[in-house]
Amino acid sequence: MCGINGIFAFHYASNPVDRGELIRTRDHMAVRGPDGAGAWLSEDGRVALGHRRLSIIDLTDAGAQPMASADGRLVVTFNGEIYNFRALREALETKGHVFASHSDTEVLLHLYASKGEAMVHDLRGMFTFAIWDSVRQVLFLARDPYGIKPLYYADDGWTFRFASQVKALLAGGGISRDPDPAGQTGFYLWGSVPEPFTTYEAIRALPAGCTLVVDRIGAHEPRRYHSIADVYRDADARAHQQGRRSAEDVRADVRAALVDSVRHHMVADVPVGAFLSAGIDSGALVGLMRDAGQQDVQTVTLAFEEFRGRSEDEAPLAASVARTYGTRHTTRVVTEGEFQSDLPRILEAMDQPTIDGINTWFVAKAARELGLKVAISGLGGDELFGGYPSFRDVPRWVRWLAIPSRVPGLGPFARRLAQPLGAVMGFNPKAMGLLEYGGRYSGAYLVRRGLFMPWELGQLLGPDVARRGLRRLAPLARVEAELPPPSSSAHAKVATLEAALYMRNQLLRDTDWASMAHALEVRVPLVDSALLQAVATAQGAAPAHVSKRLLAESPREPLPAAVRERAKTGFTTPIARWISDAQLGAQAGRQRLGPKRVHWSRQWAECLAAS
Amino acid sequence: MQVLALLSDGFGAGGGIARYNQALMTAFGKCGSISGVTILPRFGVPTAPLPQGVAQQFPAAGKLVWAARAIASTAREKFDLVFCGHLNAVPLAAVIAKLNRVPLWVQVHGIEAWEPCGRMGRVGLEAATIVTSVSRYTRQRLLAWSDIPPERVRVLPNTFTANFAPRRRNTALAKRLGLGGRRIILTVGRLASSERYKGHDRIIAVLPMVLQHVADAAYLIVGTGDDRPRLEQLAAAHGLASIVKFAGEVPEAELPDHMAIADLFAMPSKGEGFGIVFLEAAVSGLPVIGGNGDGSRDALADGIIGRAVDPDDGAQLAEAMVAALQGRQDTRPDAVSRFAFGNFSRHVDELVRSLAR
Repeated sequence: MCGINGIFAFHYASNPVDRGELIRTRDHMAVRGPDGAGAWLSEDGRVALGHRRLSIIDLTDAGAQPMASADGRLVVTFNGEIYNFRALREALETKGHVFASHSDTEVLLHLYASKGEAMVHDLRGMFTFAIWDSVRQVLFLARDPYGIKPLYYADDGWTFRFASQVKALLAGGGISRDPDPAGQTGFYLWGSVPEPFTTYEAIRALPAGCTLVVDRIGAHEPRRYHSIADVYRDADARAHQQGRRSAEDVRADVRAALVDSVRHHMVADVPVGAFLSAGIDSGALVGLMRDAGQQDVQTVTLAFEEFRGRSEDEAPLAASVARTYGTRHTTRVVTEGEFQSDLPRILEAMDQPTIDGINTWFVAKAARELGLKVAISGLGGDELFGGYPSFRDVPRWVRWLAIPSRVPGLGPFARRLAQPLGAVMGFNPKAMGLLEYGGRYSGAYLVRRGLFMPWELGQLLGPDVARRGLRRLAPLARVEAELPPPSSSAHAKVATLEAALYMRNQLLRDTDWASMAHALEVRVPLVDSALLQAVATAQGAAPAHVSKRLLAESPREPLPAAVRERAKTGFTTPIARWISDAQLGAQAGRQRLGPKRVHWSRQWAECLAAS
Repeated sequence: MQVLALLSDGFGAGGGIARYNQALMTAFGKCGSISGVTILPRFGVPTAPLPQGVAQQFPAAGKLVWAARAIASTAREKFDLVFCGHLNAVPLAAVIAKLNRVPLWVQVHGIEAWEPCGRMGRVGLEAATIVTSVSRYTRQRLLAWSDIPPERVRVLPNTFTANFAPRRRNTALAKRLGLGGRRIILTVGRLASSERYKGHDRIIAVLPMVLQHVADAAYLIVGTGDDRPRLEQLAAAHGLASIVKFAGEVPEAELPDHMAIADLFAMPSKGEGFGIVFLEAAVSGLPVIGGNGDGSRDALADGIIGRAVDPDDGAQLAEAMVAALQGRQDTRPDAVSRFAFGNFSRHVDELVRSLAR
């Protein structure tokens, strides 16, 4: 887990790479990789790669990057972890490949030499990397299937630049800062900037599960090699082929897949700890870590003074989970004072505006204080096992509203009629759009997950920016695009949308910046393409048996009953109050959108956009 | 691959766009995968033999006639690629490409692509398989208002012809223009009152500051247009009538001689799509000064070939001109060789091959 960057002066008219720019971008990410730094420039000065290292696998200098192949043909800069690198290495060695290090980085070089761009299909892990192929004169970039690790790029027509962070690219000084209305609009709609957009017109995210080739004419359109919808669709077919299976078999399959994923995610040459809340996901993972053979587990839980003695306080239940699995456990109390004092650093580290990520900031900070470099997180459990209310609401709305929402003009008419009343009564503005949007999965999902609604954007951004942003963003079409090939199951549709939109653009991105700001690598065993395949197949065969309960019962020693039966609250903080107390909160007091009972996340979004 | 090229200005026409089109059509003719190019121009009758593989029909200045002939051409002959040389013609080109189910290649130059075009133009543009822009700046402006995927918009800069090269100073010409023995600042460009972006007036305004350091400086303006009287008055108002000379329109063949009598080429413009004259001046061995907020930055290669100044900063402009006239400008006009036709032609070949991928 590191920070990577590079510059490719691909066009015949461009100036050679400015080494100073490469280093400025690279060192803006120093906190992502405090253990080392490297830079590589091609002899002709047209290509340069940079790397900041957080050493986790092969801590020696043999694992340093950028790394060149023995014959000098290939050079790679890589961020992330390839969990199956040992198996890949063995397979390559039987084909005659000779390795000089014990790192997963070197496996990428040999795998590319062996399979070319198709190599990505063999990789299991979280990764972004760029390989310079000096024979083909091509820069090849790839991002993991879920988009756990970030990768941004800018192609100005002469020069291609990439980095793990938007702000690092800007720090290089060679990229325009013109705002992108699609990124601005997307942020207000979703609370995070949806890929491939960023808030800057010149910078794009390489979408998850995509590869990108840059040659002498520039960057080509990203090519998708993995789609979550495809996995669910294939799982439907596989489940159908397998026929009826007993609940016991299905449970055993899921349990085996969970243990397998956790085991893969523990590959490291440094200790691997875990975030622990009172929820099922993180608790079950700690149990599975023990099942996978890790005897000594360090766990950490966040607690807040404000919640002491209340149901939101996760500390007591988390401590009971820690006791169940015999971990070395720490409860870290965060105060409002600490939040206020960290806020400037939080905003600085926040690579793109987002309304979330504060929890991860503090839990990652706590883990790092304990000396951990790697921590396991339960992120992804809700997407995989249907833990969100959207799994219930979205299909229900679609069922109820499919017909009325098709009556031309009825939805917008009802909204306009209800808006004044809703404003007076203090209704959630999203409710006004239900009839207009709720009849399709894309629209219902927008209402369920949306922060602001499309008709509110003009007031926030000005009508021109909102119009241009909505045109470019095409929010409904973008949601719709994640669904094909559509599975017949409502669960699969919602799970696809949650994983491909909310988890990707919000949860995973926030986890990256908020943890890397503390030089902590967060691993997410529930966000794993092999596990997804197994769980989706089980869902297809026996939907009723594949749920959070199954996850809770998966460790050899099941989670304590109190955890299994606790109502879902999410991982909450008293942030609502804190931000309204903060200086930024005072700015948000403008309450441009009227109602006093506006949700804190809407206020927070306005603060962030203003800051 | 047979190409139908819908051009405003073909072979035989004058001006920057015509020169660009001629270079591009010549490069098309050299592409291994292109078997022939048929140009349908609105303006231009060839005065010299056309490059190999390139044919040009008679011009049709009227838009409707031109459009009708374009459609008729595709009815008669099968084309594999439609090239559209100007944004204004995109709706027509897009329809032809769609009807024939062939790729559409659109070329954009400068100001015409900086602001949103009409709905038809936008739809046509967004249907293009590839768009080539003369500069990074024009590309950026185009992408700001259109929603075409950025990966489809490539930069294909201007190139220069072999006519320009460092040559001996034609002292007779300098004398004839009344500038014998002076250090000459040169601008080549249209004097259009509707545009006024090239910065002639900005140079005249700071000439007195330049003269304080370079007493024998003079300013030669090549080009014609309805803004000339205003500029003449401006020069007179500054008491500079004797050292600001208007050469009027100069035939292309005589441009190299005018370059050769100059000591500096300056055009602090705000509206260049690229500015091919910067290349021609640099190839002629002149130090070059241009603007830093438009396509000029490409021609100046971000300050390597020539100096890029803020056109609105008079003091900076004057200081740059003084430094250049005193031989202190730290740029490399020879770095302009990157824009040679060979590189241009190879790049066109790569772009054509990318269509097949």
